[in-house]
Amino acid sequence: MIDLQGYGPRLLEGALVTLEVAVLSLLLALILGLLTASAKLSRHWLFHRIATLYTTLIRGVPDLVLMMLLFFGGQIGVNMITDWLYYEFDVDIFININEFIAGVVTIGFIFGAYMGETFRGAFLAVDSGQLEAGRAYGMSNRLIFRRIQFPQMMRHALPGLGNNWMVLLKTTALVSVIGLSDMVRIAAEATKATHEPFLFMIPVAVVYLLIASVSEWIVARLQKHYNVGFGEADEWNN
Amino acid sequence: MADTPIPLEVRDITKRFGDNEVLKGLSLTAHKGDVITLIGASGSGKSTFLRCMNLLEQPNEGELIVHGENIAFKTTRRGREPADWKQVERIRAKLSMVFQSFNLWAHMTLLENVIEAPIHVLGKPKREAIAHARELLDRVGLLDHADYYPAQMSGGQQQRGAIARALAMDPEVMLFDEPTSALDPELVGDVLKVMRDLAEEGRTMIVVTHEMSFARDVSSQVIYLHQGMVEEIGPPKEVLDNPQSDRLKQFLAPKH
Repeated sequence: MIDLQGYGPRLLEGALVTLEVAVLSLLLALILGLLTASAKLSRHWLFHRIATLYTTLIRGVPDLVLMMLLFFGGQIGVNMITDWLYYEFDVDIFININEFIAGVVTIGFIFGAYMGETFRGAFLAVDSGQLEAGRAYGMSNRLIFRRIQFPQMMRHALPGLGNNWMVLLKTTALVSVIGLSDMVRIAAEATKATHEPFLFMIPVAVVYLLIASVSEWIVARLQKHYNVGFGEADEWNN
Repeated sequence: MADTPIPLEVRDITKRFGDNEVLKGLSLTAHKGDVITLIGASGSGKSTFLRCMNLLEQPNEGELIVHGENIAFKTTRRGREPADWKQVERIRAKLSMVFQSFNLWAHMTLLENVIEAPIHVLGKPKREAIAHARELLDRVGLLDHADYYPAQMSGGQQQRGAIARALAMDPEVMLFDEPTSALDPELVGDVLKVMRDLAEEGRTMIVVTHEMSFARDVSSQVIYLHQGMVEEIGPPKEVLDNPQSDRLKQFLAPKH
């Protein structure tokens, strides 16, 4: 393997951390995004209000500020709760917010808002006649969602989801600020020690590019999958 | 006791959209083998009436009895709605609908469209559903199109496919909502022919249509609606060949 003045193995570990943070944040963001979209599309005013507050807040505050707020503020909040438990009930516990979890939660939380907007537009793009046909044939709302609404919505959502994922991937670099040893932080430490920025930052850039290229390939395959039946009419023999 | 329950009875249905009352107390009884056609100018409420029968629209008042089962309603803050959506789903599965704009599921092949509800709603085994679907596609002349997606087919083919999808449910009653209105004139004939065959084999059908020759030849009963009310009702010989009201006379007069 490439030695990189002894930093090679640590950089690889950092790359793994970056990938883990990215993938886990993505999962959280997708779940939050679906929930946000459903809340925004629901007729219930309270759900609607909460979802709008969430997306407005997230999109209006810088990612870095949110991350610090959640990491440091979250620790203070947790301490207050554990202190209160100690004084009131004599329960002595100490919870330390772990950088990894804080990073995943913050990034997932931020991108959940963007995913929510993407999903909302995609749900609205599905022809209502398609859902009505499901209803007319005795399908439950759940069945309609699983068999008709979700697969047809994904066709509209994928370009936006792919885009969000690329931005999310790069945003993971921010977790180095709260002390998580992702590949950016390790490369920065190595640069400080050796004064050779190119030796470390170029491999880091290459790894990001690599992940991005693989993602693009996956998104393209998914797009092909969800586009079945919707292709250009003249592609076909009819 | 009656030997077999009546497939569909509708009593005194009213429907309002805001202040606009579009259905003003409509009733209808479809006995086994009946073909009832609903005619009327656009805005007369005929499609809304049909959509109340499978509760795609919620009637404000009135009763619905499908195969002897009375649909339960409750009144909530938002208005009147079915008390038990499971019951509604069960009943919709017995009343399959054919739409004006076909509404075949675009991400599924024709065959997948036909087996979808039998498998996932009726719980039919897949093998059985496929065999039945292929039979039905053969009947409507589309067996060779089983693996086509809706976007690869003409409107007429899509509508015949949609009829196969409706038949796959073994429905008590088939509801047709202007099935030929979205079709090019040269494609209408094939769809009507399939519908005539269904009427001949004794299917119970309720058809909203502008095709007067179809209504004349096939219906057991014609209902002429005007502004949400029944203006004339009876066998086609009476209603279509000997209309009483001036409005119906004018409606039936040949247009240039």
